[in-house]
Amino acid sequence: MLNLNPQTLKKLRRFRDIKRGYYSFLVLCGLILMVMIAELWVNSRALVVSYEGDLYFPTYTAFHPGTDFGENYAYETNYRDLAAKWQEEGSDNWLIMPIVPYNPYENHSSNDIYKPEAPSFSQEHYLGTDTTSRDILARLVYGTRIALLFAIVYMVAVYVIGVVIGCAMGYFGGTFDLLFQRLIEIWSNIPFLYMVIIVFSVIPSTFAIPMRIAILLIVMVLFSWTGMTYYMRTETYKEKSRDYTFAARIIGASNTRIIFHHILPNVLSTLVTFMPFTVVSAITAVTALDFLGFGLPVPTPSLGELLKQGTANLRTAEWIVTSAFLTLVLLLTIVTFIGEAVRESFDPKKFTVYK
Amino acid sequence: MKTIYRNLAALGMVFLLASCGGDADVSEIEVIDNSAEVAAYYAAKPEFFSFKSLADIPTDLTWEDGSHLPEIGSDKAVKGGTLYNTVQDFPRTLRRVGPDSNGSFRPFLLDYTTLQIAHRHPNEFTYHPGLAESWAVDTANKTVYVKLNPEARWSDGEAVTSDDFMFMFFMYQSSYIVAPWYNNWYATQYTNITKYDDLNFSITIPDAKPDMDSRVLELRPAPQHFYKELGDDYVERYQWKFQPTTGPYVIEDKDIKKGVSIALTRQKDWWAKDNKFWRNRYNPDRIHISVIRDTPKVFEAFKRGDLDQFGLNLAEYWYDKLPNDDKDVQNGYIHKSVFYNQHPRPTYGLWMNSHKPLLDSLDVRTGIQHATNWQLVIDKFFRGDYVRMQTSSDGYGEFSHPTLKSRLYDINKAQEYFAKAGFVNRGSDGILVNDKGERLSFTLTTGYESLKDILTIMKEEASKTGLEFRIEVLDSTAGWKKVQEKKHDIAFSALSVSLEMYPRFWETYHSDNAYDNAFLEDGSVNPARTVKTQTNNMEMMAIPEMDQMINTYRASSDKQEMIDLAYKMTQLHHDNASFSPGFYQPFYRVGHWRWIRYPDDFNVKHSRSPAEYYVQWIDTKMKEETLAAKKNGESFESEINIYDQYK
Repeated sequence: MLNLNPQTLKKLRRFRDIKRGYYSFLVLCGLILMVMIAELWVNSRALVVSYEGDLYFPTYTAFHPGTDFGENYAYETNYRDLAAKWQEEGSDNWLIMPIVPYNPYENHSSNDIYKPEAPSFSQEHYLGTDTTSRDILARLVYGTRIALLFAIVYMVAVYVIGVVIGCAMGYFGGTFDLLFQRLIEIWSNIPFLYMVIIVFSVIPSTFAIPMRIAILLIVMVLFSWTGMTYYMRTETYKEKSRDYTFAARIIGASNTRIIFHHILPNVLSTLVTFMPFTVVSAITAVTALDFLGFGLPVPTPSLGELLKQGTANLRTAEWIVTSAFLTLVLLLTIVTFIGEAVRESFDPKKFTVYK
Repeated sequence: MKTIYRNLAALGMVFLLASCGGDADVSEIEVIDNSAEVAAYYAAKPEFFSFKSLADIPTDLTWEDGSHLPEIGSDKAVKGGTLYNTVQDFPRTLRRVGPDSNGSFRPFLLDYTTLQIAHRHPNEFTYHPGLAESWAVDTANKTVYVKLNPEARWSDGEAVTSDDFMFMFFMYQSSYIVAPWYNNWYATQYTNITKYDDLNFSITIPDAKPDMDSRVLELRPAPQHFYKELGDDYVERYQWKFQPTTGPYVIEDKDIKKGVSIALTRQKDWWAKDNKFWRNRYNPDRIHISVIRDTPKVFEAFKRGDLDQFGLNLAEYWYDKLPNDDKDVQNGYIHKSVFYNQHPRPTYGLWMNSHKPLLDSLDVRTGIQHATNWQLVIDKFFRGDYVRMQTSSDGYGEFSHPTLKSRLYDINKAQEYFAKAGFVNRGSDGILVNDKGERLSFTLTTGYESLKDILTIMKEEASKTGLEFRIEVLDSTAGWKKVQEKKHDIAFSALSVSLEMYPRFWETYHSDNAYDNAFLEDGSVNPARTVKTQTNNMEMMAIPEMDQMINTYRASSDKQEMIDLAYKMTQLHHDNASFSPGFYQPFYRVGHWRWIRYPDDFNVKHSRSPAEYYVQWIDTKMKEETLAAKKNGESFESEINIYDQYK
């Protein structure tokens, strides 16, 4: 599998040499890793609880009602209060909270009023709270996680559809190509954002939240796979008329074999260079939709929703917009850096420079 | 193949229409005169439309003219200036009835700016004249006699006559207007109109109610001469035509800038301008209304001085965005006022659809009542300014149940009731599950984007009791549609209520509005009953006992009996637990620039918003002075006033 051909290895080496892109890539990987394990460092559940000699690790398990730890309520244990209580009692029981001891949904206010509060280390609201006293850092982290996952799944889906159709158009040509080209021309002239808004607003939203996010994803994919087909089509056309393809055909290779073993690997570089930019556009689109109120269902944490809150409270709570904006800038910048580096390293003309 | 041709033909039509749509509309509209049709309609319904002579008016009537009532507004008010106002959406039509007419612009066009036969005095509750000079109520015959003010004019100079009232019934009963509610109301809630001469007429209603006068006196006529072209194309033909008004403000064509702004202009020679009840009101010469979609932007425009006032009802605006120590407030440029009013309150709360599985169980509904933490919302989100609503008919004085209290948030009680309904164990996410594996989870729908934070707070609180709310925020039209089609589980919504003597029950709790043929002859549930949509029975309440009481209540003319019934019905509704009463706002708050002047007692008792009765005026000299002072950094005394005389 990892038996990469020397060409590809060379490209990868070149990518490593472009420092800005390479480090951005490392940062992004770190970021993805961090948000994937967000439950371990941003959570209202304790990491470890030691209660009457037993150890509990509630992070990824089923919820523990308060009664499990000697409290008199049947709902989810409030670990922060529990820790405070045990400390006050000088009890032998102990627990360790994550660095950010809040989940993105709970309202936690220091003064009994739900309103934005400025960043405070003593409250452990490191980026402050939003309009209903939810921790902004928690919402940012989980919001980023959803945006990133969303963007990656979106990218994969768009590529699968785009590559299949584009490749088929280029490879089979003729009427098939002609028909699909016209179809795609019509389809791609439908304004994407409006369509998503319209379609999403008529879909009955009695489904659970993950389902609703999936529908949003499907709708977005449906209206954005067309761009990829153009590149795939031309690339396939080009590769198809090369000698090695003819050679393969003469030997008697099947269409499947030719496409998957000969053509696809050779057009990969085109695909790879577009990937980061697709991710950027997916993040932007889902943020924009959220900002307009047509995106992820309430109360899902999201960057767009935070931005919206931020702009509505510019005068009174500037920390909301600052953190959401900076996160977005950071995220989009590093992905763009990676994209530029990939493009440069896959460029056959080594000495052209993108400025 | 056939379908392809049909589709192609349709496509061709679309192109054709698109290419010639531009100029076809103005020149080729056919002129209609419906006078003959109207006369024929009257003749076909002689029991509804009668013509008699002055001699037929009974002589033993007691005529009233409200002349003993005090003036409204302040005699310090001066006319002049432009009031800058805003709406979120440009009006979709200037029609007063029909599709899209019931939007946020309607108060400017109709509700607050035109005259009825008579109006409830906003401080005294009894009627003062509008278009009428005097009127008489004949309770025995369920008839109200009206004598119009001979001065009353439409804004195009025509006199307001009895014919305009007869025509109103023709118009509102006709299908041309595409307004089923009007068709139903004006055909069933009135039984006769009799014209005695141009100024005298009477209207009869089916039941003699304690407030039967309001049914008639609050009618507004329709100008027959203007609606001469009323026909099948009413919706398009009158879309952007401004109907002549009996009120002070007209909209001129040049002031309609579609999508941008619209303006009302005061008629200098308005017929009622010196009338006792109108002379201190409707003071600005012009009301400029621009479209600004975002509330934060509206606020910024207000702070810049582009808008004259801004509603500060939400705590975040009153306390945080325009706090008392704000520079403009401290310098006295902007005044902040709180006014405690008296008005039946909109019924904010959770409307549970008892037709849905699980919600049909009384225990589940009662559990939900105890699982909704309204008090927390009031204390923390509204910062204690709002008040918990106790019943769905608060604010009707003696008609409101005096002792009934809404259920409080109580985790143990909620769990008890859920347990009774079979929900004992919690799933891995803490939500209760019954033996069949059903989760205790409901969609909570709302059309109030601005209040969605309340729902996220309640969701968190409800999850402690093992109940899950899935929040669904729709835009206001879609949200309302869903509820009207009875597709919701639980809806966070409110019905706005007008200033009436006693609450209505039929619309919301009668089984007629829940199902078609809800019960069989013997009183048992009809197994084949079907859900009735487009009604306000959003809880799908169908209780024979309630129906009976509502029918008696609707037919009753005995006030004490009605009060007793109202209490019983309120109690029964409470026991049914299908409505979780939310909150109400006992006041309204507003920030206004110094040059917007209000009477010394600020406003009238029964007002819903500062602008409703148009008692404010603009001091143009003060405006110049304030703007100059702001530029030079001078300041005035800051004014933050609380008017709690009606608290």
